[in-house]
Amino acid sequence: MEDLLNPYYLQIVMFMMINAMLGISIYLTLSTGQLSLGNAGFMSVGAYTSALLTLKVGLPLVLAIPVGGIAACLIAAVIGIPTTRLQGIYLAIATLGFGEVVRVIILNMKITNGALGLSGIPSLSTLIGNRLSAMGLGQGAMGLTLQQISNITVIILLACIVVFLVFFSLRLRSSRIGRAFAAIKADEHAAEVSGVNTVYYKLMAFFLGAFVAGIAGGLAAHLTFYIGPKDFSYHRAVEILLFAVFGGSNVVWGPLLGSVILTSLPEILRSVAEYREMIYGAILVIMMIFRPQGLISEDTIRFWRSKLTGSSAQAEKSEPARRPAG
Amino acid sequence: MIKMKNAIRKWTVTTLAIMFTVAVAGCGGSQSAAPGNSAGGAAKIGVVSFLSGGGAAYGEAIRQGLELARDEINAKGKTKLELIFEDSKGEKNEAINATNKLIHKDNVLAIIGPTLSGEMFAAGPIASQAGVSIMGTSTTAEGITDIGDYVFRNSLPESLALPNVVKKAKDKFSLKKVAVMYSNNNDFTVSGFKTFEQAIKDNGLETVTVETFADKDTDFSAQLTKIAALKPDAIIISALYQEAALILKKAREIGITIPIIGNNGFNSPQLIKLAGSASEGAVVASPWFPGKDDAKVKNFVAAFKAKYNKEPDQFSAQAYDAMYIMADAIEKAGTTTDRKKLRDSLATVKDFQGVTGKFAFDAKRNPAMDVTILVVKDGKFTELK
Amino acid sequence: MFLQQVVNGLTLGSTYAVIALGYTLIFGVLNIVNMAHGEIFMIGAFVGLMLVTKFNVSIFVALAGAMVVGAALGYLLERVALRPLRRREVSHLAPLISTIGVSIFLESLALKIFGPQAQSFPPLYSGQLFEIGTLKISLIQIIILAISFGLMLALRFWLDKTKLGKSIRATAENIETAGLLGIDTRKVIVLTVMLASGLGAVAGVLVGLAFNAVEPTMGISMGFKGLAVLILGGLGNVTGAMIGGLILGIAEVFSVAYGSSSYREAVAFGLIIFLLFLRPQGLFGSQTSQGGR
Repeated sequence: MEDLLNPYYLQIVMFMMINAMLGISIYLTLSTGQLSLGNAGFMSVGAYTSALLTLKVGLPLVLAIPVGGIAACLIAAVIGIPTTRLQGIYLAIATLGFGEVVRVIILNMKITNGALGLSGIPSLSTLIGNRLSAMGLGQGAMGLTLQQISNITVIILLACIVVFLVFFSLRLRSSRIGRAFAAIKADEHAAEVSGVNTVYYKLMAFFLGAFVAGIAGGLAAHLTFYIGPKDFSYHRAVEILLFAVFGGSNVVWGPLLGSVILTSLPEILRSVAEYREMIYGAILVIMMIFRPQGLISEDTIRFWRSKLTGSSAQAEKSEPARRPAG
Repeated sequence: MIKMKNAIRKWTVTTLAIMFTVAVAGCGGSQSAAPGNSAGGAAKIGVVSFLSGGGAAYGEAIRQGLELARDEINAKGKTKLELIFEDSKGEKNEAINATNKLIHKDNVLAIIGPTLSGEMFAAGPIASQAGVSIMGTSTTAEGITDIGDYVFRNSLPESLALPNVVKKAKDKFSLKKVAVMYSNNNDFTVSGFKTFEQAIKDNGLETVTVETFADKDTDFSAQLTKIAALKPDAIIISALYQEAALILKKAREIGITIPIIGNNGFNSPQLIKLAGSASEGAVVASPWFPGKDDAKVKNFVAAFKAKYNKEPDQFSAQAYDAMYIMADAIEKAGTTTDRKKLRDSLATVKDFQGVTGKFAFDAKRNPAMDVTILVVKDGKFTELK
Repeated sequence: MFLQQVVNGLTLGSTYAVIALGYTLIFGVLNIVNMAHGEIFMIGAFVGLMLVTKFNVSIFVALAGAMVVGAALGYLLERVALRPLRRREVSHLAPLISTIGVSIFLESLALKIFGPQAQSFPPLYSGQLFEIGTLKISLIQIIILAISFGLMLALRFWLDKTKLGKSIRATAENIETAGLLGIDTRKVIVLTVMLASGLGAVAGVLVGLAFNAVEPTMGISMGFKGLAVLILGGLGNVTGAMIGGLILGIAEVFSVAYGSSSYREAVAFGLIIFLLFLRPQGLFGSQTSQGGR
């Protein structure tokens, strides 16, 4: 049993949670058919903003992280506003370029310490550990060390956020806004012609994605003591894309599954570490050819749901027929 | 719809409940095996290195230095070492996972690495908190050892080497005005730049311009044209050898003949190989002088060449010394499993003679070592007198 | 210094232009951005390098060899990653994602095969400097300018005058109509991808020569710049790509010369973001085409 609670595994689970959030951030934007390749950039904005707030200003974490998310949103407006009027490809390229611009700016700003990055960021688990010590649990309890307890608490905290995001996405999907998203994704011209304000909804989806990515960035920064420009490179953006594309880009459970698999896979396959990027690339190509909607799609969910709840007419008839999109 | 919401709630609560149960039912959380021990009493040392990806050249050089030293030490028979390598790909999260795995799964006695200062800032706290010594052989940023008592490094912080070279160059070439170039997306070169900046100020030199570039850049014509027009007496560069070689070549190509002074990154035989005749006259400060008239150095260079068919650069040399330092400390501590004893033994390393010269850890576990000023002459590094 | 920087900018810019040509050709015909183009460029550079160092051929043979390999890679790309996607109903993002996958794959393949070290062409091709007044141009720069401009003009001529070239333009204009008119659109598509990739590979050799460094990550940043030029010149617009490339090269060099060299990398995309606000169809795109809606 203590094997499960090994700090090595606990840390991986923490990364899984963060990756799940990032995957969901791409999913949110993707639900209107837009591809954002700049979520690593938004993540970096959230990470740096919240880290600077906790390091220099001493703002409590619970405030710093949402502020990071909002900062990411503000920056998202800069690209989002001009490109949502245009075709999807513009957003993809613009977000890609934006990721690069953010990286260069971070490298050069004095306050972000350039390539040296920010170190000594207060870590969530240390903070929780201190809180627990103050409550008298300093020596650990139930046979677990203090470090393990605080790590587990952090995981539970992250899990709650992920659960909230999943819940939010599911609610969003069946709301009016969600239907607008789906309509835009299915056929943007048709949606516009039928009176859906496509620019408004596309921008909203983009902001949502940026906000979630910013929050994920803020949380990640406080998990690892250090952030630097290298952590938010183009490769990271592609990795995030992979979570959604691999796991399933149509439903919110997809990025969840994608992040669980793709975060644990490198650890399981340590022996082939140098081929990892090749495998990722191959996965992307193969997925697009054979199963562009990802591992989990609506059909999969319908299938399992009907099995679990036992009712055969469970399939939601009100959902419009959707193309298996990529 | 309501059914779905309830179903979700059900699943969430169930999952959380399971997690809590697991935690509560948890057994003792102590480490299973005695750390560091493996069959035959060899000391297990973990290594986190940049082994694949864009900067793998440096991680590989480090690995080669470590392996050569390990083989020599094991052959001698007094201490037995077992190295476990993990690839961090230069990414912080990977370095964290690798460090965690080495500490908690492989139960190593100590860790050498990671390669980049950024990785160290993330992995160091983990090792320090877990009571495992972690020693960097290439991490030169400021404040590394402040992370914790278990964090060591034998990589010469640029703050020791660079002021020396600036002063010497100023005296030798009668410098008054200099131009500065550095790579601004690499913590190694940025630290170097900051040290240069300070040294230039301390020596009363005027900086005509500061130009930047990035790792993997290949076009320096714009920056160099700008510098040439300003007519400085020398160019001071903080870069890794790949970019340094390209800059040297381009500079000589467009007719810049003034002396070029480099940081530690210049200190590699690859620089001379890539830059060819353009590297003549480049000045570098370094603890690693491959042409030194010293038996240890000569043997090392010969053994390295024999094994890997190339000359060792600074990364390999410092890694080689690091392995010996570690072995020495293990021997003095008299244990292959006690992490705390090893740490204390490491902290007391003094008068160690390595291929990079005399070495000791100072009170903050930073290296205290000598520096030589080198210049490239006739295709080889020689001492600048 | 001003004129010298202009020459620097034009040399750099012409390499950007040749890369952008590859992007714009494929976009015009297939309506997708081939994210793997940068990697084909990089492999072309390595092929050229290998031919020159291992087989001791002249630089022109190396260029031709790289072009052939590039075209072959393009064919593979089209066949394996792109054609299967045209058969089924996939969103317009699927080819984009697929080419991203190819690019990641090729980059790490190159890292594995060639190693992360930068390698250079033998010094025979560098060093000769010509002086015209205060201007210093190296032989390499002249070769690059000549070949890039030559390629661009040849391409322009070919697209305008030859039957195949016109079929490409027709397919780019409207694929269904072109098919109805009897053009074998499938063949045209394959040919365009091969041509674009061949050009990209040649650009790789030129850049490898110009800056004397060939390494596996060179495709990414060049690829980005190519994308920037793609938008700058207008998606699918060949003349736009040529002129856009030159403009970007000069802009970058001037930002270093008269501004701060630290922001050089941001110039390309800073330009695009700026442009997207004002003129999304690019400098040369027409109002009705890809830009607005």
